[in-house]
Amino acid sequence: MTSITQAGPATTAGPAAPTRPRRRRDTRKWLEIALFAGPALVVFVGFVILPVALAAVYSFYNWNGLGPLERFIGIDNYVRALSDSLFLQSIGNNFLIVVLSLLIQGPLAIVVALLLNRKMRGRTLIRAAIFVPYVIAEVIAGLSFKLLLSPRGGINAFLTSIGLGDLAQPWLAQPDTALWVMFGILTWKYLGFAILLMLAGLQGVPEELSEAAAIDGAGWWKIQWHITIPLIAPTIRIWAFLSIIGSLQLFDMVWVTTKGGPVGATSTMATYMIQYGQANPGYGSAVAVILFLISLVIAVLYQRHAMRRDLGTSTSRGDD
Amino acid sequence: MTTTTVPVIEPAGQRFSWRQPIVYIVAATAILVSIIPVLYVWISGFRSSADLNANPAGWPDPWFLGNYVNVLTSPRFWGSLLSSTLVAAGTTLGVVVLGICAAYVIARYEFRGRQWLYTFFSAGLMFPLTVAALPLSILLRDMGIHGTFLGLIIPQVAFALPVTIIILVPFLRAIPNEVEEAAQLDGASRVGFFWRIVLPLSVPGLVTVGVLAFLNSWNAYLLPLLVMAAGGMPQELWTLPLGVQQFSTQYSQDTGAVMAYTSLAMLPALIFFLAAERRIVGGLTGAVKG
Amino acid sequence: MNRARITRVGAVAAASALAIGGLTACSTGGDSGGDGDGVTITWWHNATADPQKAMWEQVAQEFEDAHPGVKVEVTGYQNEDLQRTLIPNALQSGDAPDIFMVWPGGEVRAQVEAGYLKDLTSVMSDTIAEYGAVVNPWQVDGKQYAIPYTFGSEGIWYNTDLYAQAGITSLPETLPELEAANDKLRALGVAPMAVGAGDLWPAGHWWYQFALASCSTDTLKTAIPALDFSDPCWVEAGERLQDFMATEPFQEGFLASSGQQGADSSAGLVANGNAAAELMGAWNAGQIGSLTPDATIPSWLGWYPMVSIPGAAGDPGITMGGGDGFGVSADAPDEAVELLKYIASVDVQKRFAATNAGVPAHPGALEALTDPSLKQIGAGLAEASYVQLWLDSDLGPAFGTPLNQAVVNLMAGTGTPEDIVKALEDTAATL
Repeated sequence: MTSITQAGPATTAGPAAPTRPRRRRDTRKWLEIALFAGPALVVFVGFVILPVALAAVYSFYNWNGLGPLERFIGIDNYVRALSDSLFLQSIGNNFLIVVLSLLIQGPLAIVVALLLNRKMRGRTLIRAAIFVPYVIAEVIAGLSFKLLLSPRGGINAFLTSIGLGDLAQPWLAQPDTALWVMFGILTWKYLGFAILLMLAGLQGVPEELSEAAAIDGAGWWKIQWHITIPLIAPTIRIWAFLSIIGSLQLFDMVWVTTKGGPVGATSTMATYMIQYGQANPGYGSAVAVILFLISLVIAVLYQRHAMRRDLGTSTSRGDD
Repeated sequence: MTTTTVPVIEPAGQRFSWRQPIVYIVAATAILVSIIPVLYVWISGFRSSADLNANPAGWPDPWFLGNYVNVLTSPRFWGSLLSSTLVAAGTTLGVVVLGICAAYVIARYEFRGRQWLYTFFSAGLMFPLTVAALPLSILLRDMGIHGTFLGLIIPQVAFALPVTIIILVPFLRAIPNEVEEAAQLDGASRVGFFWRIVLPLSVPGLVTVGVLAFLNSWNAYLLPLLVMAAGGMPQELWTLPLGVQQFSTQYSQDTGAVMAYTSLAMLPALIFFLAAERRIVGGLTGAVKG
Repeated sequence: MNRARITRVGAVAAASALAIGGLTACSTGGDSGGDGDGVTITWWHNATADPQKAMWEQVAQEFEDAHPGVKVEVTGYQNEDLQRTLIPNALQSGDAPDIFMVWPGGEVRAQVEAGYLKDLTSVMSDTIAEYGAVVNPWQVDGKQYAIPYTFGSEGIWYNTDLYAQAGITSLPETLPELEAANDKLRALGVAPMAVGAGDLWPAGHWWYQFALASCSTDTLKTAIPALDFSDPCWVEAGERLQDFMATEPFQEGFLASSGQQGADSSAGLVANGNAAAELMGAWNAGQIGSLTPDATIPSWLGWYPMVSIPGAAGDPGITMGGGDGFGVSADAPDEAVELLKYIASVDVQKRFAATNAGVPAHPGALEALTDPSLKQIGAGLAEASYVQLWLDSDLGPAFGTPLNQAVVNLMAGTGTPEDIVKALEDTAATL
């Protein structure tokens, strides 16, 4: 998953292939494109885009989910959502998690990956163990943490047993601690994925570079900072993208653990949508469209600026 | 510094092998933190429910095998296991095949609208499944595949395509032009290049997206609920997360049984991951050397 | 393309086609009505645990035996999934089950307006006559659209042992007496009362009770259908609740507790003795029982009616209750109506009563109740001056979440009594 620096300018491939009439080459190219991308496109449009577009249509109606769509209300649902303090709080929570993830999970994953990126005893075991949280279903993980963090649960019991009983509190039941604890749970669940991604990226870093720098007398951290990390930049960018989008869409873990409570402390746009959209799918769809637009804007901005190189938006690839 | 047989980098003045305490501490902490909540569920499965309800945070005393035995002998568990496997395998196959073909086109063909196509697919990440649920179930019903395995697999493939393509495209782009030009010099067509060179080179990436697709399918809840439960499939054929939820509400008083069921439900995904894990990381290394 | 590749591609394609064919064949889609040689009836309910689940299955079996050629597919689903996802989806996509749970008040109204339910007024007139007034919440415009199988009122379930230990000699009848009793319980070291505010609705019920106490019956009867909350009694209800909250009656961490699931739910806390009482409906005997070590209704479990509030405008004889019922889908076969008649028959109702899962709706089945608390509830219902349906049911499905959330906010100290009324008015404005 690394991008190998292409030495020199991309050369336009000369007519090295046997010349075929240009028109047939073009048609054949489009045929291949259709054949290869076609099935994926059909499935994607039919089963994702279409239902989602339908749902967007619902958003302009006041609809209780039963019976025909009758009550067109224009953008009323949108106005209502954007003036609901709970929804605004949810948006805030989402962005807080985005920022926290980038600031905390990212560097943490990089550092851990750097430290673990060596042949060591038990390497496979460590990597497997780190990925375990990601493998566990959200339903199960949520249930486990709810039990661990409940007032009479494992964590409080542990704190009491080591003499820190004063710290024991109903972690998930207090509005001021709930979101931070939730972030901790999310980190537990998804950090392993980030670490593994970084480790994979690190595989592509040639050892010769670091060894050369070491011979020149550079310390470990200097090597990582100036050489290794820049070389895994594409991996970091991909992770950041997935992390941002994932944080904006956050639903499963929060729903199972706190349902967005207490009093909206852990509410996300998606949990708000489910809570208030069940009785009124029109309203729920409006919230979903807002969520979609926010994600889309951020994603487009990110791809345009941060991921230029990885996507090859440069035009100098010129061959047929 | 001397030998290159030393597998680790030895910067001047600092021996940095696995014996260095900080690496050891980091690794140990990482393992413990990752595993303990999982262990909690496993061990709680060995306690009777009375024990658990009275004292959620204790150690099994005595060790009670009844929960695990009950789950392992129930046909519902094995049926769900089979169902989850079938659905996950089908989804993975669909995702990998459709994904690599589409990603290949986006990554290595030059045509108008290519960037747009990539953005189009990645836009699929921005919409949560929950909103598409109702129109989707109507669509499935109209197509006649509601309440079938296929009716679950195809939408899952569709929703997994964005992530797959996002991961595979940069991967495929990384194959140098020179390799492609060499293949063309040898007289291979675009398609031949794909079949003979790109596919083998992208195995590590395929394994990664395959594992992701498998895990997501394995742990999915909402879509199976709509397609299988609302579609009228018998409970023995429900996927595991559905089965866990149904089990936990049916036996909500029996916390120990629920713990046992969820522990066992975790296992197949864990085993699959452990088996595939070597290939993922090892394979990703191979990508560079290949 | 070379031949070897074509063959390989062809083989893969053929294998995939076979696999796909196999997968579609694996379907067991549940169609209702018309199997060719007989009729299949689908029936959805919310009992996922025995004995109720087993009872419904038995009823289905008995009906099949009595009606050869008819097959009944009965399934129990988790309540939230059923009410919020499965039934609405099934109705909207045109493939509804033949018999399914219908919730009273606003929900049945919405379903009838969309034309999903069969009018039972004439085809089940005998059954309706047997039941009496308890069927009213399931009527729309005077026509009957579902038959209840359980209906009970809400009250305070308590631990008689803990109350005795705390020195509470007479059961509280007014709010000040309740607060005094709570003080004594707190001294014992247990939570005086438990509430599952994490699920929102258990907290909501506290406000509903205070609203019943603060508003006159006339106000209730007119304000709710008209969705007019201008009467000051609605704000008063919140103020009284605030005062009650100031006495800290609930367990630690109540904001995140669930109502019914697991040892730390409000029911669980009562079951394992960590809380002394909780306000809940008639189903709670079975609920608490299922969370005890031996899964039976504990002998120390008792019940007393919700306390009255001195000086409040409401009628102290009023009680609030709710229930569950079954309706028939509009295009279901006639056999489905027959099945519902059987489900609603007094014999089946008596068997329901014997499971002690709740109070049976049929008046003739009350005598089959064995649990003393449930008997009390049944008797109380008969004597009540007026039975008000759960407020969130009566108001309609759109109100549940905003109203209950506003109540929880008040309990957490971040919301005001006026906020609750505002939530009601805002929701009403969107209808």
